Amino acid sequence: MFFRITLLLSLGMAMVAPPVWSNHVDQEAFAEALAESLAESPRWLALLHVNRGTTLRSRGRSYVADQNFFLSADGRHDPYAELVATHEALKPEGSEARCAYPARYRFLSEALGWQHDAPFEHCSEYLEWRALMPDERVVLVFPAAYLNSPSSMFGHTLLRLDGDESDGVWLSQAINFGAEVDASDNSVFYIYRGLAGGYPGYFSIVPYVTKIQDYAHLENRDMWEYTLALDAEQRQWLVEHLWELRDIRFDYYFLDENCSFRLLELIDVARPDTGLMEGMRLTEVPVNTVRALEDAGLLASRVYRPSKAVELDRLVAQLPADARRLARRLADSPELSASDEFQAFAPQTQRIMAQTAYEYLRFIHRKRERDAEVARRSLALLRLANSLPAPDPVPPIEPEAPELGHATKLVAASYGQRENNEFGEIQFRYTYHDWFDNSTGFLRGAQIEALNLRLRSTESGPLKLERLDVVNIRSLAPRSTFVKPVSWFVNGGIERVQAEGRYGLSRYVEAGPGLAWQAGPVTPYAFLLARVENNSAWDPLITSAAGASAGLLWHFGHATFGAGGSGYYLTNDEYRHRAQATLNVPVSRNNALRLDLERLAVRGDADTEFRISWRYHFD
Amino acid sequence: MKKIVLATALLGASMTASANAPGGPGCGWGNMLFEGQSGLPIHLLATLVNGTSGNATFGMTSGTNGCDTSGALAYSGSSLLAMNGVLEEVAHDIAMGEGEALTALSVSMGVSAEDRGHFNQTLHQHFSAIFPHENVTAEDVLASIQSIMKADQQLAKYTA
Repeated sequence: MFFRITLLLSLGMAMVAPPVWSNHVDQEAFAEALAESLAESPRWLALLHVNRGTTLRSRGRSYVADQNFFLSADGRHDPYAELVATHEALKPEGSEARCAYPARYRFLSEALGWQHDAPFEHCSEYLEWRALMPDERVVLVFPAAYLNSPSSMFGHTLLRLDGDESDGVWLSQAINFGAEVDASDNSVFYIYRGLAGGYPGYFSIVPYVTKIQDYAHLENRDMWEYTLALDAEQRQWLVEHLWELRDIRFDYYFLDENCSFRLLELIDVARPDTGLMEGMRLTEVPVNTVRALEDAGLLASRVYRPSKAVELDRLVAQLPADARRLARRLADSPELSASDEFQAFAPQTQRIMAQTAYEYLRFIHRKRERDAEVARRSLALLRLANSLPAPDPVPPIEPEAPELGHATKLVAASYGQRENNEFGEIQFRYTYHDWFDNSTGFLRGAQIEALNLRLRSTESGPLKLERLDVVNIRSLAPRSTFVKPVSWFVNGGIERVQAEGRYGLSRYVEAGPGLAWQAGPVTPYAFLLARVENNSAWDPLITSAAGASAGLLWHFGHATFGAGGSGYYLTNDEYRHRAQATLNVPVSRNNALRLDLERLAVRGDADTEFRISWRYHFD
Repeated sequence: MKKIVLATALLGASMTASANAPGGPGCGWGNMLFEGQSGLPIHLLATLVNGTSGNATFGMTSGTNGCDTSGALAYSGSSLLAMNGVLEEVAHDIAMGEGEALTALSVSMGVSAEDRGHFNQTLHQHFSAIFPHENVTAEDVLASIQSIMKADQQLAKYTA
C-alpha cells in the first residue's frame, strides 16, 4: 500500500485536490495499474532476465539462478514484486542497493522522474569500475571454427567494449559468458555436465588482448568483429547492467542457454525494442546470434581479424617456391641469411622470407615450453627482418563472413535407384555442415554433423531407417612445407549395410587419423580406419574391423565435387569396399542439388546406388 | 572467496598495478603459455563451454600464467608487457615498425595519438638496443624504451 502511494507521488501524478476517500481508492488503483505496466515493460523484464518463452526451461521466470540477484524473495518469479522491492531499496538517498543496481536505478529514475544530484557518490567501488570501463563502442566478436578442433566448430561469441578508436582494441574489455569449470572434476563428467547442464555460468570481463591471444594466436581461429548499432545511452544501459551481473550465477547449458544466448540478453537490455528475444530458440548456434543481430538491424560494421595461421599462409603465398623452401630452412638456421643463396633474392623478398621464417617458428613453438635455442633463432630472425626494407603492402584477402553461410538445419528429399530398384528418401539433419555443402562462410574440409537421419521408402516396403549419424566429424587439415597437421575423423550411429547377404541395420563407431594436402582447389586425403559394429546377422555382440580410405575434395565456385574409396576387413573374414562420388551444386544460399553415386562390394556381391537430392537449409 | 577474487581482480589490482614490478620468472621471451593446462579433455571442454577455470569469473588472471597478473584493467606499460605473450608481440611490432601491440604499448604509456607514428619509428630504429638478447625481461625492455624516449625530444615528455 505504502509503495503504491509513494509510486504515484513519484510519478508526479499526485492529485491537486486533497483526497477524499473514494478518490483515494481511485488513486491507489491507478498507481497499481501503472506499477504493473512498468513491471511488464520490456526493459524491466530484460533487466531481470525473464524468459518470455524464448527457451524451454524457466518459462515465465528469470534465467538468473542466484537469489543474490533479487531484492524480493519472489523476485525470480514475480517481476512486479521485484519492482516494488527495488523501488523501496533504491529510493533513499545514500542507499547501498544503488551501488549494486545502477541500471535498475536508471530505469526507475527515468520512469519516475527522480532527480538526484549524485545518486552514486557513495558507491566508490562502482564508480571506479565504471570509470575504467570503456563505452565508445560495443562490438560482437565471433571467433570462428579452427581446423581440426570439433569443439570449436560452432564458433563462439563474446562482446567487447571499446574506448577511443585511435587507441586500437588490444586494451578493450571482453565480456564473456562461460561455464565455470572445476578442474577437479574428472573429464567424462565434464563433458556430460557441459552438455546436459549443471555448470554454473558467469559473465567475466577480461582484457581483449587475452582473447586475441587465446583465439587468433593459440587456437588459430579467425575472428569477426561486428560493431553494434547502439547509441551512447543504449551503451550506458548495457555497461551499467553488466555491473549488476558481477558474481551472479546463471545456469550454463551447451545447447541453448550458452555463451551466445546470454549475450542476446545483454543486448536486449540496451535495445528492448528490437524483439531479439521473441520467438522460440531451441538451440543457440553462435552464427545464428550474428544473424539474429543482423536481422534486428543491430550490426553496423564488420572487421575481419585473421588468425596467426592465416597470416603465415599469406606470407608464404607471396613467395616463389624456392624462396619458400629457403625460408623454411632459415627458420632452423638464421645464419643462412649470410649465404649467397639468400642474398640473391631482392631485399623485399628477403624481408618476407625472414618474416615467414619467424612466423613459422612462433607458429610451431607458441604453445610449447620455452626453448632457449628457438628463442635465440626467433630473435635473430626478427633482427634480420628489422634490418630489411618493408615490402609493398599486400591488400588483405577477406574470406566470406560466417553469417553469409547456409542455415544450420537441413531437410532433403531424394530419389534414387539401387540395382534397378527405385527408392525415395527423406533426410533431416539437426546440425550443421558436411564436406560438400556450400562452403561460403564455413571452414573448407571441416565437417560436423549431429543427428543426421535418412529414411528410405522402396516400392516394396514402407519408410525405413536407412542411416542415422549421431555424430559425424571429419577434419581435413592440409599439410604444407610449413605445417604438418594430422587430419582425423570419427563417426558413430546406425547404418544399413550388407551382412550375410542381408541388407540390415548395424550400429557402429568408426574413427581414424589421416593426412591431407592442398593443390589449388583440390584437397586429396587418406585416412586409416578402425571400426566396431554390432550387427544382429553375426553372433558376437561386437565385430571389429580395420581399413583405410582415400579420396579428394574439389571446390569450384560454390560447388563441391568429391570422390573416394574405402575398404575395411572385419574380424569374421567379411569385408566391405565402397567407392563413392558426390557432386553438390548450390542454387542459392540455402538450396542445393546433390548427386551421389555409390558402389558397395561385399563378399560375392556388389550393389550400385544412385541418388539425386534436393537439399534445403533452414533456421 | 569469489567476492574477494572479484574485487581484487576488478579494482584492487588495477589500482595498485603501476606500483608493481613487471614480469616474473618465466615471463621473458617466448613464454610458456600452456603451463598448468591439464590435458586434452579439459581443453576440449573449456572450448565447448567457453569456460573459465576456477575462480576466474570477472577475473583478470587468464593468459598471464607465470607472469605478474596485476594491472589488467588500468594498463601501465609495465603491466601490459608483463601479460603473457604480449612481450613477444611487442618485439614483433617494434621490429616491423607497426602493429596493434605497439599501439597498445603507446596507449598504455600515455603517448598521444599524434606522437604515435614517431614513437613507432623511434622504437623501430632502436630494435637491437631494446632487445639485445633473447633472455631480456619485460622489465629490461621497459627500461630501455624509457631511456630511448628520454633521449628523444618529442617523446621525453612521456617519461616524466
